[in-house]
Parts: sequence; structure tokens; C-alpha cells
Amino acid sequence: MKAVSKRMDVRIAAEDLRRRTLARIERPLDRLIYLASTRDYNTGSYYHEGLASRFTEEVASEAMADCHREAFRDLLSSSLENLVQQMEAYIDSTYTSPSAFIAAWRKLEPYRVAVPVETDLLSAEFLFSNLKIALVILEARLNIRPEAVPVAWPHQ
Amino acid sequence: MDEGHFCIPGIGGAAVIQLVFFLLVGALLFVSLFFLVRRSSRAEGSAELLFEARQSLNTLQFGLLPAQIVERIFAKDDFAYVLTGSPRPVHELFLKERKKIALCWVSQIRTHILSLKQFHLRSARFYSRVSFWAEINLALEFAALLAACRLLQIMLYIRGPYAAPYVVGAMAAGAAKVCDISEKSLAFLKQPELETLTTRPVGNPTL
Repeated sequence: MKAVSKRMDVRIAAEDLRRRTLARIERPLDRLIYLASTRDYNTGSYYHEGLASRFTEEVASEAMADCHREAFRDLLSSSLENLVQQMEAYIDSTYTSPSAFIAAWRKLEPYRVAVPVETDLLSAEFLFSNLKIALVILEARLNIRPEAVPVAWPHQ
Repeated sequence: MDEGHFCIPGIGGAAVIQLVFFLLVGALLFVSLFFLVRRSSRAEGSAELLFEARQSLNTLQFGLLPAQIVERIFAKDDFAYVLTGSPRPVHELFLKERKKIALCWVSQIRTHILSLKQFHLRSARFYSRVSFWAEINLALEFAALLAACRLLQIMLYIRGPYAAPYVVGAMAAGAAKVCDISEKSLAFLKQPELETLTTRPVGNPTL
């Protein structure tokens, strides 16, 4: 009975999170990164002060885990074209140089720690593979259309 | 005493035959007891097999076989997109990556199907009443499915991820069928108190 009531609270909390916070984050990639960033890497628990104050820390954490899995599924079902668009928009939102961003992501692969804990091996590997390809596609586009890099010395 | 003739003093030949007969009966009983004990311990040990089968079933049903994931892995529109706007090295990387994923998909399906096969071979009859013909039918299904897995692995390995869409479809359908049969055999594990233990998908989160 207690478990059923807790599950109900988790559902309400997840709905609250979707309505108040996630509704403003349109792209699944952004949602995945945002939700992963609220997770403590030592414990695997998610923290959201507002949600925890309205419910309990445990309920808030489970609700965020549910939304994280949902964002992962949405991203996994995105086509490669859509994933490239999401990645492009995400790079724009970070205000970093696309080439620096791509170089860092290709080298560090930070997306590997952004997947939900219980993700199965194949799904995780599939997403990593798609993200890797998306980065290479964006890099190739940058090489074709190199951006104007500000130079320290003006041309003579 | 005659040295060339083995005989216990005071006991006749008929009595020796009787003794040998009883010793044989005793040995037979001992062997039967050994097999009975072995069988019951196997039944106890099969709890682990049962749990593994449940996990394999969940992974197949929720991780590997949903149409959404199968369609995405073998989606031709992704390749068409790569072909239209990217240089050749990107095409090659894409095909290499998709081939790796496709091979991983088949390999995992094969592993989980083998786990279900082990469950049916060793333990299923303890938990559900399956008729002889149903068992034969299931054995054929398993054999065909495992052969299809091998065939698909070879085709994907040689010709890449888009080599055999029909085999992919047929294999996914065959695996789904075997999952349905296994689901019935494992239905008793679907009680609410066991639900939390068994619905957790298997896998390494960070690879």
C-alpha cells in the first residue's frame, strides 16, 4: 500500500517536473544532459531542491530518474538527421566555439556518463555511436565551411 | 579345501548367487538414490536459471526486440542522410559503426535466446505443464532461431548492416514468438511482489 502511494507521488512529481522545468527544455539531448547533471556520481541519486521541498528527496530523485529514462528513450528514437540538428542547437546554446566543442566531445566523450543507470548495453552503445557520427558530420561541415577565426594580428 | 574352486566354507553355491544378487540390488538402489539427489539439487539450483531466464526475457522484450529500436538500428534513412551531405570517410565511419551495433544486437539476441533455451531444457517442466509436442515445436523454434542468428551474423559481417533486412525481420519475429512461449512458462514470476525484482533490465550503464 505504501509502495503504491509512493509510486503515485513519483508520478505526480515527474509530471510537475515535466510541466515546470522540462517544458522549457525542448530538445531530448538538452534534457538528457540537464537531468544527468543533477545526478550525484557517487550515489546515483538526483537532486532538485524545489521538487524535494514539495515532495521528499527520495520521491524527487525517482521522478527525475523517470524523466531521465524518458529523455534517453526520446533521444534514442531520434533519426541521425534530427540528432545532428539537436547537437548543432546544443553547441549554439553553450556559446563555445563549435570546433573546440567538437574536439572536446570527441576526445572526452562526456555523453558516456549522461545515460541513465539502468540503461541496457546495446541502447547505450547505439546512442554513443550515433553521437560519435553526429560529431563527425558536424566536424566535416565545419571543415567545408570554416568559420572566421578572429586573428590577433591584422592582415597587412 | 580345493584351491582351484572359490567357496566360502559352510555356504553353498546358491547362497553365493543370492548374496551377489542382493549386492547388485543394493548397488542399483544406491545409484538410483544418487540420481534422485542429483535431480533434486538441480531443481533447487535452477532458481538461478529461472532468474536468468526472466532477465533474458525482459532484456529481449524491452531492450532488444521493440520495433522502435530494431527500426532505428537498421534505418536506411540514416544512411541516406549521411550519403547526401557528408564526405566519404564519414560514410565509411557510419557503416562501420552501424555494422558494429548490428552485430552486437544479433549477438545479444543469441545470448539471451540461449539462456531461454537452457531454461526450457532444464527447468521449464518443473514450473509449467508443457506437452511433448509443444516441447518438440519449441525445440525446433530455438534451433531455427539460433541458426538464423548465425546466418545473420555472417551476412552482417560480410556485407554490412543493410545486408539482410528480411532476415532481420524474420529473426525479430521468431525471437518475439519464443519470448511469448517463455513468458507463459515464466508467468508465475509475474506476481506483484516479484515484479520489482524481475523487471529491472540487465546491462552495464557506462559500458
